[in-house]
Amino acid sequence: MTDLNDPVVRGYLIQLMGEEGLEMIEKMPAEGEVTDEQIAEATGVMLNIVRRTLFIMNENKLAICRRERDSSSGWLTYLWQLDLSDIESHLAKEKKKLFKNLQLRLESEEDNVFYTCPEGCVRFQFNDASECEFLCPACGEDLMFEDNSPMVEKLTKRLDELKTNNS
Amino acid sequence: MEIEERTLKLISDSKDGVYQNELWKMLEIDSRKCSRVITKLMNSDLIIRESAVNNGARTYLIKVVAPEEESYDLLLAGEMFSPCAGCRLACQPEICELLSTWINQLTLEDEIKKDEE
Repeated sequence: MTDLNDPVVRGYLIQLMGEEGLEMIEKMPAEGEVTDEQIAEATGVMLNIVRRTLFIMNENKLAICRRERDSSSGWLTYLWQLDLSDIESHLAKEKKKLFKNLQLRLESEEDNVFYTCPEGCVRFQFNDASECEFLCPACGEDLMFEDNSPMVEKLTKRLDELKTNNS
Repeated sequence: MEIEERTLKLISDSKDGVYQNELWKMLEIDSRKCSRVITKLMNSDLIIRESAVNNGARTYLIKVVAPEEESYDLLLAGEMFSPCAGCRLACQPEICELLSTWINQLTLEDEIKKDEE
């Protein structure tokens, strides 16, 4: 049984579907099939948000959808059921994806020199900064050299932790 | 099923562990063979055993080593979940601003931890 109070699970669901999506999941029946309209009525979440959330959930294999055709009218009814049983394998995939992206970021941070606008408008690599004559294209301020060693340090630490945690 | 596998299953099935002087009887093997199997499983870090007394006789209580649960807390930086989850933007982690925000949250996470200490 997935704990919806777990900060990691909450964070993942919010990242995928937003706060309203999580609210919908929390109020949705844990068992049995329901239609989108029944969900909207029971949870008080707007129907378009319910449909959007269900679409994302289905795409990420967090909900099961079954189609039923009414024999007399020929209308199709879509029946939905929550299925968070496989969430751990999704989190494992996210961890791998994050690890790969942080590694690429670390390489880029270590191999390049960065210049930033003191007003926080832009962050450029040396070549781009020199093309702009070291002036911010947004506000015209002088671009400043950025010591990115704290970022490199943070990245290295988290990558090490992820590596240890995966082994 | 091999004897090691059977032994491990029997120990895993018992929540409170199994006494060694009962285990060999349950497995229908002799105590010497049981002892060898136990040593093998202990060397593979699959079980642990501690001294115990059962029915007045000194023996060992054997328990299975619980597999370490994988933690996913590292996907969070402070309260922010990895922005790569469900991201539909063209993936350029080298310059991704959402990823930069997430990395910056790591500093905040460190500061909160230091404050708590």
